[in-house]
Amino acid sequence: MTAALRGVPAAPGVALAEPWVYRPATGGDDRVGLDEAVATAAAQLTALGERLRAAGREDEAGILDAQALMAEDPELLSAAGRAMEGGSGASAAILAAGEEQAALLEGLEDEVLSARAADVRDVAERIARVVRGQAIPALERRSVAVAVDLPPSVTAELDPRFLVGIALEAGSPTAHAAILARALGIPAVVGVPGLLDAVEQAATIGVDGGSGEILLDPDSAATERLETAMAARRDLEAADAALRDAELATSDGHRVMLGANIGRPEEAKDAAEAGAEGIGLFRTEFMFMGRTTAPSVEAQAAAYARALAPFAGRPVVIRTLDVGGDKQLPYLRQPPEDNPFLGVRAIRLATGNRPLLVGQLRAILTAAAGSDAEAWIMAPMVADMADVELVRGLVEEAGGSGDATVKVGIMVELPAAAVVADQLAEAVDFFSIGTNDLTQYLLAVDRTNPALAERQDPMHPAVLRSIRSVIEAGHERGIPVAVCGEMAGDPAGAVVLTGLGIDELSMDPRSFGGVKRALASLSLADTRRVAERALAAHSASEAREIATSAMAGTVGSTHG
Amino acid sequence: MPDVTLPVRNPSGLHARPAALFVKTAAGFSADVRVTNLTRNPDKSTAARSLLGVLALGVSAGHEIRISAEGDDADAAIATLTELVESGLGEELEAEPGT
Repeated sequence: MTAALRGVPAAPGVALAEPWVYRPATGGDDRVGLDEAVATAAAQLTALGERLRAAGREDEAGILDAQALMAEDPELLSAAGRAMEGGSGASAAILAAGEEQAALLEGLEDEVLSARAADVRDVAERIARVVRGQAIPALERRSVAVAVDLPPSVTAELDPRFLVGIALEAGSPTAHAAILARALGIPAVVGVPGLLDAVEQAATIGVDGGSGEILLDPDSAATERLETAMAARRDLEAADAALRDAELATSDGHRVMLGANIGRPEEAKDAAEAGAEGIGLFRTEFMFMGRTTAPSVEAQAAAYARALAPFAGRPVVIRTLDVGGDKQLPYLRQPPEDNPFLGVRAIRLATGNRPLLVGQLRAILTAAAGSDAEAWIMAPMVADMADVELVRGLVEEAGGSGDATVKVGIMVELPAAAVVADQLAEAVDFFSIGTNDLTQYLLAVDRTNPALAERQDPMHPAVLRSIRSVIEAGHERGIPVAVCGEMAGDPAGAVVLTGLGIDELSMDPRSFGGVKRALASLSLADTRRVAERALAAHSASEAREIATSAMAGTVGSTHG
Repeated sequence: MPDVTLPVRNPSGLHARPAALFVKTAAGFSADVRVTNLTRNPDKSTAARSLLGVLALGVSAGHEIRISAEGDDADAAIATLTELVESGLGEELEAEPGT
């Protein structure tokens, strides 16, 4: 009998295996003294931390290190001592003490400290188990881990070789276990009501991390469906892995540079490992969000240097701050606006916040000077030659005037910039077309409005014709033209862009495989024919249909 | 009894890893070191060798703390901990928030 439950998808993929169930200690006689149990638990936690560190799981190792300190913490032990004086046994006393300390941390109403509260409970649980002579069952066969929640020290004990999926009754997609699942590439579903009761009698459990579906003892039809999905995913992953070192090129060898879009410096290394030839878009907003003062030039330079490090000899395009309007920063001097998308955004901030932008450019120049990679500066929201002069002036003020190695380019995302692209191409070193905003502005479609989602399609002939004229303008003046919007990572979009003559496609590395397959399925002449027909289409859906049918039969769906 | 008052400037304050580093360092001295979060509650102090106590002070970036010490190596403890806090407790100062 198949029983189905539903939760929140937290990591993609499909798994089918026997359940491995973790339940917190529920009772039992005390067998070991508290002092001895504390020492044992602390030693276990230290050893687990070392094991994680050796496996390269540094962030988790840090949590285990802190937990080892917590196990022997004077506050925890004196609270337990008080409970024992009140007549509690050792295990009950340490559980009560853990709860007391956890509640204290939760009372501070701080997200980071609330997470530490769970760590304390985990430590107290572990000490109580040692007191009672109990142990967490070992994970020794391919299993799906099932629990209300999987605390860090329990997760650390799970052998990744046998862990094929995670299903939690509680938790959120940002939970520790969900992050681990994504890192290990296994599916996870969280927030599944009634999971532990339901799994009690089940011999097998299926987890679909895409839909959030949990199947207990699936019947043959459900099993077959899961196995088909598993096989399809394995094939796709294998195909992506096989393509890792393949160039992004058409079947007849026309090359397009493959760039990665990243939002944090540490993603640069992953992008390089995934086969990126450079960074086509490094969004720098992460440095500026969620804080009360602007980051220092030194801290920025250090962060940019980390993004440059994996790309010696390769371009890393760093986009200057693109906030304002809908993304307010407390330290920006900005009045509220009725229409933030048409407001004081990005490069327009130079009017009231010039030192902020100059400081960022100085940080980029500093990082560039100390790196083997080529740092390219890219300004967003440029409308015309006056904006280009503004950007050039900012770079000069930051000390970058005489340096020929730092290229300065612009995002082409305003229809105005696309229209005067021939002028702009004379004055900048490269173009990168931001198809998301270009589409929004050209079609007057608010991209945050779900009711208009279908109209927000860069395959609209008006967008395609704008892109064509921008590419032509760039090539006439001999500067490279890239696309760094979502269109670049969409196989149909990538085919049309290639046909239009794009030099670089920059995207989320997860899209690499799908786009490589799409391009490899067609010749350059094919993509040109597709592009010509798409330009003549009467609607976005018609243009999309032209591209999709050209790829049909040779190209699988996109990744994920 | 020597003491020092200083701001905590690393992005995650005395949370998580920086707190653990602070506690481990304090525990290396025989002096009885205590910490107070002047910004949140100037009347409450905690033993610097208790990670849970230090976490419960809720020290975030920008908060001012007072460190006091009593015992043989009190001055050395204050000097070492001051340097540790000022150098960012193993974090990059004013870099990425909330990592």
